[in-house]
Amino acid sequence: MARKDLLDIASLHREEIEFLLDQSTSFKKLFTRSVKKIPALEGKSVLMLFYEASTRTHSSFEVAAKRLSAEVTNFDVAHSSITKGESVRETIETLQAMRTDYIVVRHGHPGLPGMIARQTTASVINAGDGAHEHPTQALLDAFTIKEKFPDPRGKKVLIIGDILHSRVARSTSTLLQKLGVEVAYLGPGSLVPKYVPASIRRFTDYEAAMAWTPDVVYLLRVQLERQDVQFFPSVREYHRVYGITNTRLAEISDLGLYIMHPGPVNRGVELCDAVMDYERSLITNQVENGISVRMAVLDWLTPGGDFPKQEAYAAQPRAGSKVILP
Amino acid sequence: MILLQNARIATENSPVLVESDVLIVEGIIQNIGTKLAIPEGGRVIDARGRVLMPGMFDAHVHFRAPGFENKETITTGSEAAINGGVTGVVMMPNTRPALDSATAVATVLENAKVRSRIPVYTSGCVTKNREGKELAEIEGMRGLGVKMLTDDGDTTADPAVLLRAMQYATEFGMFFASHCEVLELAGPRALNEGVMSYRLGIKGSPACAEEIIIDRDIRLAHAAGAHVHIQHVSSKLGMETIRWWKSRGDVKVTAEVMPHHLMFTDEHIGDYDTNYKMNPPLRTQADCDALLEGLIEGVFDIIATDHAPHTPFEKAQDFLSAPNGITGLDTALVSLYHHFVEPGKFGWDVVVKRYSAEPRRLMGLPVAAIEVGQKAECLLFDTEAETTFTKEFMKSKSQNTPFIDQTLKGRVDMVILGAEILLER
Ligand SMILES: [Zn+2]
Repeated sequence: MARKDLLDIASLHREEIEFLLDQSTSFKKLFTRSVKKIPALEGKSVLMLFYEASTRTHSSFEVAAKRLSAEVTNFDVAHSSITKGESVRETIETLQAMRTDYIVVRHGHPGLPGMIARQTTASVINAGDGAHEHPTQALLDAFTIKEKFPDPRGKKVLIIGDILHSRVARSTSTLLQKLGVEVAYLGPGSLVPKYVPASIRRFTDYEAAMAWTPDVVYLLRVQLERQDVQFFPSVREYHRVYGITNTRLAEISDLGLYIMHPGPVNRGVELCDAVMDYERSLITNQVENGISVRMAVLDWLTPGGDFPKQEAYAAQPRAGSKVILP
Repeated sequence: MILLQNARIATENSPVLVESDVLIVEGIIQNIGTKLAIPEGGRVIDARGRVLMPGMFDAHVHFRAPGFENKETITTGSEAAINGGVTGVVMMPNTRPALDSATAVATVLENAKVRSRIPVYTSGCVTKNREGKELAEIEGMRGLGVKMLTDDGDTTADPAVLLRAMQYATEFGMFFASHCEVLELAGPRALNEGVMSYRLGIKGSPACAEEIIIDRDIRLAHAAGAHVHIQHVSSKLGMETIRWWKSRGDVKVTAEVMPHHLMFTDEHIGDYDTNYKMNPPLRTQADCDALLEGLIEGVFDIIATDHAPHTPFEKAQDFLSAPNGITGLDTALVSLYHHFVEPGKFGWDVVVKRYSAEPRRLMGLPVAAIEVGQKAECLLFDTEAETTFTKEFMKSKSQNTPFIDQTLKGRVDMVILGAEILLER
């Protein structure tokens, strides 16, 4: 049995995750061929519904869909008038009438992709809902880590920054833990809530976190635009206390640690400029891997009606799948 | 003439039910005793096994009229009350226009007289249009019987404004009901700040946002010599704050707790179920346990529902967009029985005292006791039957309740007010 929607990481089973990561590997091999397109989703339509601007995720999904030969439509979201929930519901009715096969949705309100999924027969992919989840980001992060550590069990990932507002932190830490990776958080006390799950280690200063000997340091983007309230005194102080400064980069380099970041980077805030040339930076790998992971997700989901929500099942490639590549 | 035979009568003073016949003549309880003679031409009701108790009184309801009649009207709201065994209510004044003047209150009360089969009372605003700035026309509303002043839905943010209102209105024998919430801390007011808000990615409202105002408003009442009534308490520390102030004995403070805050936690929200979205939000099991303790101990003087109807369309939005509030009148009594009386957590006396007698005393009204010479205002409750809260069962215009389609133990079988049988199942 297949899944209709990808709304979160929390409800994914380990077997499903591993299946998706394996599929991503196959898709990535395709990139080195001269013809990068395969007909897996020929005749299918993918609708991009982005209520929040995101060039990176948007274009990554678009490329992924096109490489699977799907038809991609951008739904014109007038940012000014369509922020209210009622308008979203009207939009859903329109979408259902359009009989699109896949909807990739990003919205500032947590749970909204799930709401759309319940009201349409299309497969809905959550491309980020508020501070809730961003499952394809988590998958591409895990994929990127697995490229360096094929067996990631017991590896340690230190996530630094604004945990409170970060859907990336939620999804990625949940997924990594499902793969047996140890996760720790570090960030300003105002941005790392005390009630994060107990399975996640929490550090209050950088030195103590490094003494934990992480394998990967994952910097979150400081969402300066989101800070209606002041969570830390200044960007300068943030960089000094929680950022990767030149001194810290030297230390990280000596220890041979990998650096990740979901992008786009605020230079001089999370990371000093020199990180761009750091050889163990996986930031561009993440971007590249985003495409193959999203291809795997699109190929895996099965649009249609009457799907029992969030039901347990064994992961299987869907019947007639043409994309199991050598 | 109605003769209820072998009813088990519940009172506020004892958990023990006393079996008796009750004879009602021309709306007045004329006799209580065993084997009363069957009156000629009278109706005889075999109430064996069923509990007879005074009609409930809900001192915190939103009937949405005027201004939001698509959610509820005085008619549908009062029918929901009768459906749940409630024979009197106090409306909150957050209507449009807000009930902040004698004119507005008079209109509502006149309307209620025609459109409701039970007495409907209303509270009045503390400040004009509930804006927290200028005092409402308090004395004018008193002339129409308003006893309770509140900006419910919002805290009167400026403590100086509230203090002055308290000093002014206490002279007229009025009291204040406080919706306790520091807005700056409360965020989008969707759910409790904690493990669940983190998991769902929604900025939560911390319990301290409520507790700070509970303490602030009691302190203000203490300073002004006023009576303050703390509305819909949802947190353990909030309950303990009230308990502490009550133990001092030098300020008049009363408090209320809602059935939903006793029964549900933020965990019930699950996958963004907006039927659990309310303000103050559902908190944790530890809070529920403390509230129950506070109710049994008497820290909470009354139970009320905060009956807050919203249309299905509004509640069908995503969690952040959907409005706060659930309906409560149709479901309160049965759910209290199902969750607490039946499992033996407290007796019928607690229900009668906290949801019938004390709310009437709070409003300065006579208590609806089942005693000879009193006006008949009572209900028959079948403890063996069940109620399924289908859409059709509900009399409220809206069905935004976690109990929708649930089956609970207990059923309100009959509601009597004076010479009239308002409900019979
Ligand atoms: Zn309120």
